[in-house]
Amino acid sequence: MRKFLINVNGKQYEVEVEEITNIASASKAQPVQPQPKAQVQPVQKAAPQPEPKAEASKKVEAQAGQEVVKAPMPGTILKVNVSEGDSIKQGDVILILEAMKMENEIVAPRDGKVVSIAVSEGTSVNTGDDMVVLE
Amino acid sequence: MKEKINKLVDMKKKIELGGGEKRIEKQHSQGKLTARERINLLLDEGSFVEIDAFVKHRCTNFGMEKVEANADGVVTGYGTIDGRLVFVYAQDFTVLGGSLGEMHANKIVKVQQMALKMGAPLIGINDSGGARIQEGVDALSGYGKIFYNNTIASGVIPQISVILGPCAGGAVYSPALTDFIFMVDGVSRMFITGPQVIKAVTGEDVTQEELGGANTHNRVSGVAHFMDNTEEECMERIKRLLSYLPSNNLESPPVYDINDDINRVEERLNEIVPDNPNKPYDMKEIISLLADNGEFFEVQEHYAQNIITGFIRLNGKSIGVIANQPRVLAGCLDINASDKAARFIRTCDAFNIPLLNLVDVPGFLPGTDQEYGGIIRHGAKMLYAYSEATVPKVTLIIRKAYGGAYLAMCSKDLGADQVFAWPSAEIAVMGPEGAANIIFKDEIKESSNPTETRAEKIKEYRDVVANPYIAASRGFIDDVIVPSITRPRLISAFDMLESKRESNPRKKHGNMPV
Repeated sequence: MRKFLINVNGKQYEVEVEEITNIASASKAQPVQPQPKAQVQPVQKAAPQPEPKAEASKKVEAQAGQEVVKAPMPGTILKVNVSEGDSIKQGDVILILEAMKMENEIVAPRDGKVVSIAVSEGTSVNTGDDMVVLE
Repeated sequence: MKEKINKLVDMKKKIELGGGEKRIEKQHSQGKLTARERINLLLDEGSFVEIDAFVKHRCTNFGMEKVEANADGVVTGYGTIDGRLVFVYAQDFTVLGGSLGEMHANKIVKVQQMALKMGAPLIGINDSGGARIQEGVDALSGYGKIFYNNTIASGVIPQISVILGPCAGGAVYSPALTDFIFMVDGVSRMFITGPQVIKAVTGEDVTQEELGGANTHNRVSGVAHFMDNTEEECMERIKRLLSYLPSNNLESPPVYDINDDINRVEERLNEIVPDNPNKPYDMKEIISLLADNGEFFEVQEHYAQNIITGFIRLNGKSIGVIANQPRVLAGCLDINASDKAARFIRTCDAFNIPLLNLVDVPGFLPGTDQEYGGIIRHGAKMLYAYSEATVPKVTLIIRKAYGGAYLAMCSKDLGADQVFAWPSAEIAVMGPEGAANIIFKDEIKESSNPTETRAEKIKEYRDVVANPYIAASRGFIDDVIVPSITRPRLISAFDMLESKRESNPRKKHGNMPV
């Protein structure tokens, strides 16, 4: 729990912020959660959430020992080779990303389990988009 | 006399103990070797000769006059590796935390200047807490002198930096100015500002390892060139690197006897490249098949993996390889790949190492982050480095060679002495899909079945243009060769080019985009 003193229009507010440790639901839900504000920028993956919450969920991701496989370049998902819950080994091809007229193999950065998949065949991705969450 | 000799022996013994047994034990308990152990591990057995062992600091501030610092925290001297002369210094963390003061710096500067005079490689082992604060501007001046000498020696002798402990703040710029940086996982740390400063200024929480560990600098920042798990492996790798380098810019790299057939025909090369140009393959397999004994010594293995850089031997002679890797980012050139390749090309050119360029490049990576990041000026470095290089340059076009990226991979026009192509080569301004869309725009639009017409036109374009024969008919390619005989052809080309003599106009220095 962290305390912040925030000044709004000359009025001081004392705000307490707590980190949420239940990552699995938080990160999984993020891409599909209907965010009213997100409609304005549909391509941006980090939907503008209430600030403290966004910060918290981001931090938790790293702490929980999960790893997000991100798109290395803009392209289209050609094939998804894994499903949620699959165990995978480092170097396994988990996705095929067609980009620059090349069927790029996206390989698992380490051994682990597939927690969630944010893309499906035909999804267009941009550099840095989350594709698969590993545990 | 005997008494005097005994006194000398005692003094030397004491100096060799560095910071004393307790601190040596502490160094060992952290999984680190001492400065002298490191030097002995690196150099040929019994070859190390120490210089300046008796040097002492002259600081009298803050009670420093009472502090004794053996060898002033750095062991310097010379010795041999594989029988070849090298100069070396190793900071001794057991003495005042390896901190750098005036005399400590002077010792380093002395070996720097000796290495330069004698034309021998300099290896610096860094393990230091930073500037000796008590010595103030004298310490700062010490760093400045080291940087200056690093720069003057650049391109004259190979300079190798080994980070085996902390190397923080201004100290990082000495390694940064040298040719190669070695790091050991879990031991090495390099950063300009440490985690505490970052925390205070930006509020970010980051560990030392995340911020400046071997992994970070080998994978993310591209500051380092090599990463090993232990200090022993690191020292072995330094020796291997030196076997590919000459002692200075006036010599050629050493030539080794080989027991590999220079006429080796490699049938596997005929089938490595998939028929479908959209399928990736592993370029490293091709490199290994071409090299003497399949040995490839990769440089910056973990950084910008869409381009591969490293050394092989052909007919026993050192060759620098720059190759696109279709398996990573489709083999595109991007900011990091351009930086990595340009630096490597210039390293090879400085030390008379011929270049072999293996091309399969679909183009520059598109994207706003690339354009905003300055891909124009970064990509230009490759063009600059290749054009400027006067060593023998041989280019082999394996598959795609499109647009500016084709030129950037050392085309004939950038001074390649010999350009070969495999029959799978496609040399064009852009890929068939994009080109057909532009050239046959109207026909596709007016067609009753645009999709079909488009596919037809793509095929037409591919058949007519996407092959090596147009470029060969203009002389941009010297020969189209059967892949299996590539090794003998490359060896013949480099043999022929051995007497190449080329020089650029006299100038102070060029103005490479940075």
